[in-house]
Amino acid sequence: MSIDTRTSWATDPERAATQNRNTEKPSHTMRHALLLFLLVRSLAQGADDYAPGPDSKPQPGVPQGVITHATWKSKIFPETTRDYWVYAPSQYEAGKPAAVMVFQDGKSYMDTNGSFRAPIVFDNLIHKKEMPVTIAIFINPGEVPAAAPDQKPRSNRSFEYDSLGNQYARFLLEEILPEVGKQYTLTQDPALRAICGISSGGICAWTVAWERPDQFSKVISHVGSFTNIRGGHVYPALIRKTERKAIRVHLQDGTRDLDNLFGNWPLANQEMAAALKFAGYDYKFELGDGGHNGKHGGAILPDALRWLWRETP
Amino acid sequence: MRLLPLHIRIRALLASLLGIAASVITASCQNLRGDEALSKILEEGEDWKLVASGYKFTDAACADAAGRFYFSDVSAGDGIHQVDLEGGVSTLVPNAPKLSGMKFGPDGRLYACAQSPKKQIVAFVLPAGTMTVLADDVQPNDLVVTKKGYVYFTETGKGQVTVITPQGVVRLAAKGITAPNGIGLSPDHGTLAVSEYTGSNVWAYRIDADGALSGGERYMQLQTPAGAARSEGDGMTVDADGRYYVTSALGIQMFDATGRLSGIISRPQAKGTVSCAFAGKDFAYLYACSSDKVFRRKLKVRGR
Repeated sequence: MSIDTRTSWATDPERAATQNRNTEKPSHTMRHALLLFLLVRSLAQGADDYAPGPDSKPQPGVPQGVITHATWKSKIFPETTRDYWVYAPSQYEAGKPAAVMVFQDGKSYMDTNGSFRAPIVFDNLIHKKEMPVTIAIFINPGEVPAAAPDQKPRSNRSFEYDSLGNQYARFLLEEILPEVGKQYTLTQDPALRAICGISSGGICAWTVAWERPDQFSKVISHVGSFTNIRGGHVYPALIRKTERKAIRVHLQDGTRDLDNLFGNWPLANQEMAAALKFAGYDYKFELGDGGHNGKHGGAILPDALRWLWRETP
Repeated sequence: MRLLPLHIRIRALLASLLGIAASVITASCQNLRGDEALSKILEEGEDWKLVASGYKFTDAACADAAGRFYFSDVSAGDGIHQVDLEGGVSTLVPNAPKLSGMKFGPDGRLYACAQSPKKQIVAFVLPAGTMTVLADDVQPNDLVVTKKGYVYFTETGKGQVTVITPQGVVRLAAKGITAPNGIGLSPDHGTLAVSEYTGSNVWAYRIDADGALSGGERYMQLQTPAGAARSEGDGMTVDADGRYYVTSALGIQMFDATGRLSGIISRPQAKGTVSCAFAGKDFAYLYACSSDKVFRRKLKVRGR
């Protein structure tokens, strides 16, 4: 296990956009021209133009957490290997059980220049006591390494993330959490355990809570694949007919998300939201105008976390 | 033409811009890179075409390096049939045993699962027809041969895959599979896939350097007929990009290289269609053994 201490998260130079404001009252024609300009601009670049806000940028005086890297060879997913990273906030106290949040496709959630920048968001929100002291586990999907250099590894991402059932939940509960638990004291309280993912990682997060609400009760899904990749399109129907489970879930999707052989993502997420509403779940659904990416989900990650952890700062 | 006042011209422009925006949104349907819809596989206007007929029950689809197609009549046991690149059908080794699975090995021999008079793994030198027995007292259904010369075959009744090493040692390779039937190799021969007949999974294994199988997983899920637990997963083939094509009760189920069911190709006829292989010029045709007949159809993808 190697330890990366993040040396510096340099503050992005804020672009102080100076605008010349015309204080004169615009003429009728001028108003139309301005309207046209704004509309053309919004048509040309308005869609999916989400950007990280201040909570997703390093702030002065906010202490930074520490990230450690490890690899894992699984037995539950036989012969697979993967990288994962564990984030501990500076407020973590050894021996005092911390909340836990697991991120699928962990590397992209951890990237401090990416869409999500989760370590920075955690630093800021934990510092402001808007979420609890939380250990984040950023975990990548597994692969079965090739036996020879001229052969390809077998990607296990779709199998792990898109499959229904308890195999991935077992993997977290029986392999990963005990291992991370050797390093940090983790809570056993399901109310303090959350899980998050994007695309197939999003439905995976939901599946973990659906299978084991006694272990994970909080979910965030970004452009979640509640489509028929491996049968996940049945969830809205199951949610409506199954006795409500103790799950709080934040869903995000965009109207420009995928429409392909597996299904229509915006429709599937709306089906999920409608089913959650019907069944009386504690849920929130943010439908933006973005595509199959993390821009919108990243921009609202601080708000989603505040909502998810609202009574447990 | 009279020039309209500016604000009216602006309104007209706005209206046309909104129209463009609406059409852009409508056209935003997309395939995530790597998603393998049937539209990427099937040629528009191409359907199954009859190749050969008049058999009892065809099986053991395979191709040689030149693209000639081979099959057997597993019920009649009337030899090894060959379809050349011009579509001519001929029979090699007319006195061959009843064969249920065949593949060419790296040595150019045709390896096969014999059903009767004895259940054996055998290899033929073609066209002479000289036959060598490689394994006796086995219950083989279908087989593959890797470029390193390992022969893997399904023993359906035993629920296992058995391997014959290049040294001729016969040993267990994998077990715990529900009626293993069809068997296939990834293009790099690093992954072995096995279909379940009475179950609904296609297992994937890594082929280790010593020929052992590891990392077994129910990697692909076959669609089953409504209300049925059995997929009738049977013979399979793999294209040059690593897609798996698995025959089943519902049709030939196509999976991308990451194991996602990506399409079900209709059977040539509503009869048992139990093996398939890419063959023909440029390996551009998917051949299918369908009960009494053999069919083929041209695809956008290539077998090799």
